[in-house]
Amino acid sequence: MMKLLDISKKYGEITHKYPFEPYKVAENFRGKPAYIYDLCIGCAACGVACPSNAITVQLNENKSKLIWEFDCGRCIFCGRCDEVCPTGAIKLSEEFELAVKFDKSAMIQRGELEVQCCSECGKPFSAKRLVKYSLECLSKANLGEKRLEEAKSYVSVCPTCKKTATVANFTAGKEMVIE
Amino acid sequence: MKTYEVPQNIQDANDLEQKLELLKHIGRSFSVYRIDCGSCNGCEIEIFAAITPLWDPERFGFKLVANPRHADILLCTGPVTRQMYYPLLRAYEATPDPKIVVALGACGATGGIFYDAYSVLSGIDKIIPVDVYIPGCPPHPASIIYGLTTALGVMDQRLQKTSFEHDNEMPPAVEDSVLGNTLFERDLLVHSKRLMSYIFGRKLYDKYLAALVKSGNIKDTKATKAAITEAMKKEDDPRYAECLGILHNEIYTQYVPCQEEDKISLHRVKWGR
Repeated sequence: MMKLLDISKKYGEITHKYPFEPYKVAENFRGKPAYIYDLCIGCAACGVACPSNAITVQLNENKSKLIWEFDCGRCIFCGRCDEVCPTGAIKLSEEFELAVKFDKSAMIQRGELEVQCCSECGKPFSAKRLVKYSLECLSKANLGEKRLEEAKSYVSVCPTCKKTATVANFTAGKEMVIE
Repeated sequence: MKTYEVPQNIQDANDLEQKLELLKHIGRSFSVYRIDCGSCNGCEIEIFAAITPLWDPERFGFKLVANPRHADILLCTGPVTRQMYYPLLRAYEATPDPKIVVALGACGATGGIFYDAYSVLSGIDKIIPVDVYIPGCPPHPASIIYGLTTALGVMDQRLQKTSFEHDNEMPPAVEDSVLGNTLFERDLLVHSKRLMSYIFGRKLYDKYLAALVKSGNIKDTKATKAAITEAMKKEDDPRYAECLGILHNEIYTQYVPCQEEDKISLHRVKWGR
């Protein structure tokens, strides 16, 4: 017994004081992904990369808004959203105090973005911020004047209309369509 | 599949008032029974890390017990496989009322990465009523301690539902390039992420650009070579040092016309300490 007391005296107290004093997690700890709404462009790269579909990027029911939604309960903290985000809108933080009582919806985080409608068919296909961001990136990438003008017209066309336009360019309009 | 309906007598004995009453009388003695409902054992490892002297939850009176009949708190992990469905129900019914159910880990809270798999019921709360959710894959021991103390009302809940609705339609500003061509920065970032993964890759990218700007004239190949070599020699971590050289040889030379002697010969520079 005395030997045990001697040993514990030698090594001191190692227990963390955690709930009574803040705890500092290790460097590069993967905590809750922190979302910065002002930087988000709604490109949905995080939604595609997320292996457990904790992040979803979808149009709402009447297709007037693009909804970015994150469910912390389903997140597996792999950091792929952080890896793919082009603007740094989502970064893993050091937050680890995530427990919630009774109501599961407290773990949900969402952001609504305005949608861009296609200039040809009028259907919504992307976020307005993404279109503006792409144009801004292109304007700083050493492109010619003519090329930029061209870009301005095609960034607001949806993928389906782009495809039909390309097909119309390459064909004479007389070819047989294989369904 | 028809899932479990909580019997009326258990429901009556488990309302919020009775749970608060229990917390008032129980003092500092909580028996926790742990049920593994088909988890990957990551959560179990973290639970055992959390009950070591390093975290010592017996400060608050938490004690793991080996029988649900002795327990006050049920700590459930895993996405509930079909095999573990009935054992979970047996443990739930055997626990004396009022009982507190804690769903631990991403799988326990919502099903996690298995949420749409065919063989699981995805989450404890699909079957029995859950009081506290502790997300994390697996949760840090500190998160577990935090979750259990939140269950007792010692600490407050930090996480709240947040929703951003007012879109100003302003995208983030694009930074100007140091070379006058943003494609240089793009290639640099992509290559540094390829070399050192995303966290260290970003640090490498910052280090490289800082060293490049320090050289004074960015388009002068001699000055930049000297500046990067200097940065490599000063760098403590040999991984960063070598990757700085690789970035200079492979990306910078594509954007600024360079001779063969303007490249850094990596095996001649001595880096690190």
